[in-house]
Amino acid sequence: MFKNALTTLLIWLTAALVSGVFVWLLADIIIHGLPKLSWSFLVEAPENAGRSGGIGPIIVSTVLILGVAMVTATPLSLATAVLLSEFIRHDSVFGRLVRRSLDVLAGVPSIVFGLFGNAFFCIYLGLGFSILSGGLTLSCMVLPILIRTAEEGLQATPNDYRLSASALGMSRSATLVHLLLPAATPALVAGLMLGVGRAVAETAALIFTSGYVDRMPDSLFDSGRALSVHIYDLSMNVAGGDASAYSSALVLILLLLIINSIALSLAKQWLHRSVVTA
Amino acid sequence: MKKLGIVVTLIVLIGAVWGFLRTQSNEPKIEKLVLTGSSTVAPLAAEIGKRFELLHSNVRVDVQTGGSSRGVSDARAGLADIGMASRALKDDEKELLSFTVALDGISVILNKANPVQSLNKQQIIDIYTGKIVNWKDVGGNDAPITVVNKAEGRSTLELFLHYFGLKNTEIKPQVVIGDNQQGIKTVVGNPDAIGYVSVGTAEYEASQGAAIKLLPLEGIAASVENVRNRSFPLSRPLNLVTRGEPAGLAKDFIEFAGSPQVNDLIEAQYFVPVPH
Repeated sequence: MFKNALTTLLIWLTAALVSGVFVWLLADIIIHGLPKLSWSFLVEAPENAGRSGGIGPIIVSTVLILGVAMVTATPLSLATAVLLSEFIRHDSVFGRLVRRSLDVLAGVPSIVFGLFGNAFFCIYLGLGFSILSGGLTLSCMVLPILIRTAEEGLQATPNDYRLSASALGMSRSATLVHLLLPAATPALVAGLMLGVGRAVAETAALIFTSGYVDRMPDSLFDSGRALSVHIYDLSMNVAGGDASAYSSALVLILLLLIINSIALSLAKQWLHRSVVTA
Repeated sequence: MKKLGIVVTLIVLIGAVWGFLRTQSNEPKIEKLVLTGSSTVAPLAAEIGKRFELLHSNVRVDVQTGGSSRGVSDARAGLADIGMASRALKDDEKELLSFTVALDGISVILNKANPVQSLNKQQIIDIYTGKIVNWKDVGGNDAPITVVNKAEGRSTLELFLHYFGLKNTEIKPQVVIGDNQQGIKTVVGNPDAIGYVSVGTAEYEASQGAAIKLLPLEGIAASVENVRNRSFPLSRPLNLVTRGEPAGLAKDFIEFAGSPQVNDLIEAQYFVPVPH
């Protein structure tokens, strides 16, 4: 009886500790970041190395980099996941090879992706320091997460779906589009969120690819500073930049929350619609 | 209905990307000037670049960081028009040209109430490594010393460590601070503290009535004047580096960065403008 109570207590304490750390972190950022946060901070360009002015161009660059990364990574990873889970045997040599290389890729430190992106996209492909280079580098980085979560989502759908569809004479692609993908949507969205989270928090991979320029980008070929790079620069490199760094961090968290809720509601809609029409 | 939505989304997306790519070709020819290198110089160079863009509407100055060595190697390889280095060129880099835009000096500061008037190099080393822990050992009050150190990653820390030949792991600080302002506030609030900050900031704050004093180093007063005439030992030049004599846009930019028109920008980053 006593042992039981102790275990319960320990589990509750651990949970409290974990959420406590999160609340502390959030409170710290809100307390320090809120005073400077205003509409003009969100739309203006940074001045005096970011100590004053706002982060308008930096938000735009961040969203563009994220957009490039997700637009290129999502179809690629979805196709790979479908191949791995639906079109080849689970224990085939090729499948194992792909999975193993994805696991290795997932464990590679982000600075290595940064150096790779710099060497391959910026210099070899001649894209230079640009939002495109940064986005493509990030898409390489989030591929493993997206593929593995999508694959697991697809594999978790009951095999009965496939058998029934086949018994009804549905084609393989129709089964995929109308049954398996909708059923795996929650997992796909969860993977997408993880990918976005990892991408938007990235500093090391971006400082050498999308760069440091805090001007409003004219095109995807312009260099653009991401929010995380801006926060890093303000807190580590610019004397007197801490207040702006906190506010930028707050904006980054808000941005992440907004993206997450949009994705969740889109997924809900998609799921609902395909159930109705299928 | 669902398919229509997907098709519309796709068209809008493609249109947006295409429009984005097109805007570039429609505009008049834009010249780009790329600077890479020292993260210490980068914020200053970016500010100078913004002012340069105001004067030259068809020019974009792109500043990228990566450290002084990267600035030197990029300038040498021709990857950047101009490299940035927060140090003088080394002997094996002498084929490059360097142009000093600003100077950076570091001063050891004490609280004004502290009777100690000067410390020699060895005393400062002993204080920072924890061998001297009481002010009475260096001629002050009988009070424990509060050592204020900079956080990891600060260029001030690197310069300080390099000058005194120390490693950061050898330092036994009681307080670790981030920026200059915080260092000054810590020493103002604690009469037994010792810290080090940028000379420009410290002199400005002291003139504004902050209760700090700047210690001389090797007998030379820590002042912006002595950093400017390069007699103060704990200082470094902030350089722009080029391969060969700069021409065209790079030449214009370097001349602009060395002109009095950017002195206010240099001072806003707590650096010292070079005499003209």
